[in-house]
Amino acid sequence: MSKCIDNEIQEMLPDVLHGALVSDARARVEAHVASCESCREDLDVLRAVKSAAIFAPSIDVDHVVRQIPPYTPIVPAVERPARTRVVSWLVAASLALAVAGGGSALVIRQWGGTSATNVASGVPSAPRQSTQTPAAATREPGIPDVKPAPVEPSRARGLALASDVDALSDGNLVQLMNEMDKFDALPGSEPEPVISVDSGDSL
Amino acid sequence: MSPSPEGRPEETDMELINRWKSGDGRAATKLVGRHSQALARFAASAGEREGIEELVQDTFVRAFASLDSFRGESTLRTWLFTIERRLMLDRRRTERRSKETVPVEESDHVSEYGALDGLIAEEAQERVRKSLDALSPTQREVFTLRVQQGLSYKEIAVVVGSTEGAARVHYHNAIQTVKEFLKDE
Repeated sequence: MSKCIDNEIQEMLPDVLHGALVSDARARVEAHVASCESCREDLDVLRAVKSAAIFAPSIDVDHVVRQIPPYTPIVPAVERPARTRVVSWLVAASLALAVAGGGSALVIRQWGGTSATNVASGVPSAPRQSTQTPAAATREPGIPDVKPAPVEPSRARGLALASDVDALSDGNLVQLMNEMDKFDALPGSEPEPVISVDSGDSL
Repeated sequence: MSPSPEGRPEETDMELINRWKSGDGRAATKLVGRHSQALARFAASAGEREGIEELVQDTFVRAFASLDSFRGESTLRTWLFTIERRLMLDRRRTERRSKETVPVEESDHVSEYGALDGLIAEEAQERVRKSLDALSPTQREVFTLRVQQGLSYKEIAVVVGSTEGAARVHYHNAIQTVKEFLKDE
């Protein structure tokens, strides 16, 4: 028995069993099957497979229906007006900015204090200035003595060093210079001169 | 729309769904009665041996709980097959995980179905059932959906999560395997 090569007919064979073909197609398939032993055999197999389905158990419909929950429609999420959404975004952005800014300031402050302390650790402290300011010495009588607000020593000691230098005594200055000489920030020798690799062949 | 035994045109699935949504419980009974046996047959054909009634029930419970997501792009039956197939896969995964492999006795199978429908399993039907066992799970699903349920290749592709072309190939391979099995027996 030769195998049928008409795939279209073969694929329609199950539709014959289920009566799902329109009359023209059904007539065409039946005419083909009448002359094709392979398709007849296929159709017999399909009939046997279809009838084998009777083994399924019967279902108690009422029992199934009793298990079905009552209908609860899905409530769509309420769409907020566009303006509310914009305001929400602005508030969120402001909060994020405040948190990021505050965090950055804290980090800078922390980092600046630590580094300044390290720099200042090797520098002798400046002598205290006189408790009486020049302004107080020259003030007019009758004018109340307004004490200037106490100036917080800058945490950034490196920046404050320049102004403190003037207040150093000669001995402290010498000591500072000697300390600075010990720094090894500069290379010990001049860099080697760059040797040209130009062989002179180029024009 | 086919006429009902009373002569009135049979309500479509969508009409029954809308009636159930508006509070008519009889619509659910009609829908379950219309599709439950097909679901049971599909489960049996796909190799389920036990708990088919529970499987069909779970399919309907899930389907009715999410009927709002059914858009009517496929038929309700195709959609139900899709849900049932997922439940079968979940069940098989759970069984594999629990490693409680209870072999199905041949006598159990025959007695279960024979008692249910009052039919004696004839030798020819047993051979056909064995030939289906020789198919791969996907081939078996495609073949039984096509032959026993009469689904189109497009609908089968939806149920098994494949393409129409792949469904055709599975069908052709399946019928060749079944024919060869029945010849060799």
